[in-house]
Amino acid sequence: MPVERNAIFSIEVPEKSAFSLKLPLLGIGLIFFLNTIDYVYQRLFAFTKGLDYSTQQYQQYWMSVLYAELIIEALIALFVVVYLWQTRDRNLENLSPAEELKRYWIWGSFVLMYAFAVFIAAYYAEQDATWHQTVIRDTSFTPSHIIEFYQSYPVYIILGLTFLMYALTRLPQFAKATSLPLVILVASPLMIFPNVGLNEFGHTRWFMEEVFSAPLHWGFAIFAWGALSLYGVLVTVCPRVYSLIDQVYLGAEAPSASIVIENPEACINPLFCSCERNALPNK
Amino acid sequence: MEEGISNMNERLLTQRESEADFVRKRFDLAVLLIIFLATVAAAWIHQQLFAGDWSFWIDLKDRMWWPVIVPIATICFPAAVQAALWTHWKFPAGATMVCFGLLLGQWLNRIINFWAWAKFPINLVFPETLLPQAIVLDGILMITNNFVVTALIGGELWGWLFYPSNWPMIAPYHVPVEYHGQLLSVADLIQYQYIRTSTPEYLRMVETGTMRSFAGGVLGVSAFFSGFISILMYFIWWYMGYFFAKPIYLKAKRI
Repeated sequence: MPVERNAIFSIEVPEKSAFSLKLPLLGIGLIFFLNTIDYVYQRLFAFTKGLDYSTQQYQQYWMSVLYAELIIEALIALFVVVYLWQTRDRNLENLSPAEELKRYWIWGSFVLMYAFAVFIAAYYAEQDATWHQTVIRDTSFTPSHIIEFYQSYPVYIILGLTFLMYALTRLPQFAKATSLPLVILVASPLMIFPNVGLNEFGHTRWFMEEVFSAPLHWGFAIFAWGALSLYGVLVTVCPRVYSLIDQVYLGAEAPSASIVIENPEACINPLFCSCERNALPNK
Repeated sequence: MEEGISNMNERLLTQRESEADFVRKRFDLAVLLIIFLATVAAAWIHQQLFAGDWSFWIDLKDRMWWPVIVPIATICFPAAVQAALWTHWKFPAGATMVCFGLLLGQWLNRIINFWAWAKFPINLVFPETLLPQAIVLDGILMITNNFVVTALIGGELWGWLFYPSNWPMIAPYHVPVEYHGQLLSVADLIQYQYIRTSTPEYLRMVETGTMRSFAGGVLGVSAFFSGFISILMYFIWWYMGYFFAKPIYLKAKRI
C-alpha cells in the first residue's frame, strides 16, 4: 500500500549522532588500554618477579594483582546488573520506533565490545602456551593465568551480562520471551570461567604437562562453540532493525513495540516485518 | 506555492533516504565486525585446544599426525560459519574469513609472545596456513549452492590440499642432518635446542606408530584419511552451524 508523504515526515527521526561510533570505540579503546598495561606489566615483572610462587615478591607483584582484579570485576558485574535492572523501561509497550532503533545501536555497541573482548581472551589463551613452554608452573596463579583467566575472561563476561541485561530490560524483542541464541551467546563463553576450576584441578592432580590438545582442555573449546549462536542472535535482530530503519526514515509499516513484545517470533519473519521500500508515491 | 511545497518534500525525502542509508551502513559495519571478531575468537580457541601443539611447533609438523589432525580439527568452524552465512545472507567467504582471522591472530601471538617475549625463534613457532583450502571450500559452495557437494568435494580437498599448500614453508625443516651420530631433521634439531618445559619427550607425537615402518607413501595415506574424516566433520558442523543460527524462542514466559 503506498505510503502518504505526510506519514513519512510525521515520524520522529533520531539525530545522526545517535549512531555514533564513539561508544564502541570508547569501549574497545578501554579494553586495548587495559591490555597495553597488562603487556607492559608482564614484560617488566613476569620473568623478574613471577617465577617462584613462594617468594614474597610474587605475592606483592602478582597475587595482589589477582586479588584486586577479582574484587573490582565482581563489583563492576554486580553494579552493571543491578543498575540495568533498576533502570529498566517499565513502559516498553509504548516505545517509539526511533527510540527502539537508538537502543538497538547501543545494544549492538556492547555486542561489538564483547566480540573484541572475546578475541583478546583468545589471544591470551595462546599466550599461555608461551608461558607454559618456558616456565614449569608451581601454582595455578601464574603471571599468564592472572591476566588470561582472571582478567580477560571476566571482562568479556561483564560485557556479555551488560548486553544481555540491556536486551531484557530495554528491547521489546527480548522483554518477555527468552531468546535461546542470546542466552547461549552469553552463558556458554561465561561457563569457560568455571571450567578453569576443572582445568586447574586436573593440572594439579593428574597432568602437569601442557599439551594444549589434551582432553583436559576440551571443556574450554566446547564452551567456546556457543559463540556460534551469535548468528542466531543476528537472524533474530536484523529483520527488526532493518524494518525499523525503513519505518523511521521512509514511513514504511512495521509492528509496534507492543506487538513485538507479545509475538517476538513472528517479528523475526522478514515477511511479517516487510517494508515497502518502493511504495513511496510516484516511485 | 504547491510546486514549492512539492520541491521541499522531495528534498526532505531525499534527505531521509540518505539518512536511512547512513544508518543501514552503520549497522552493516557493526554486524560485520561483530561476526569477524567473535567467530575468529571462537575458532581460534577451538583450533588451539584441538590442534594447537601442531600449530605452535615446527617439529610437530610431520608427515603423519600434522596432516591428519589439523585439517580435521580446523574444518569445524568454516563449515558452521558457511551454514550460517551462506544460508541466511548468501555471504560466500565464510571459510576464508575464519581462516584469515585465525592466521592473523596466530601470527600476532607468535610474534608478540613466542618470539618477542619468550625468545623462541620464529622459524620454530610459525603457524600453518589454511587459506588455499578455505578458498576452495568457499568456491565450491558458491558455485554449487549445495552443502552435500561442498562436503564431499570440498571436505576431501580440505585434507588433500593441506600439506601441499604448506610444503614451501616447511620443506627446509624436513632436511635431514646428522647430529652427534644421530639422524634427525632440522626441525627436530631446532626443538632440541629450545626446550619446551611442559612438553616432555614422551608426549611428543612425531611420526609415531607402525606407519614409520612403511617404505613410503605415508603422507598420501595421511592426506586421504584426513580428507575422509574432514567430510564427516563438515556434515556434523554444517548442522551445528545451522542449529546455532536458528532464532529460537523458548516457550516458557520469563518470570
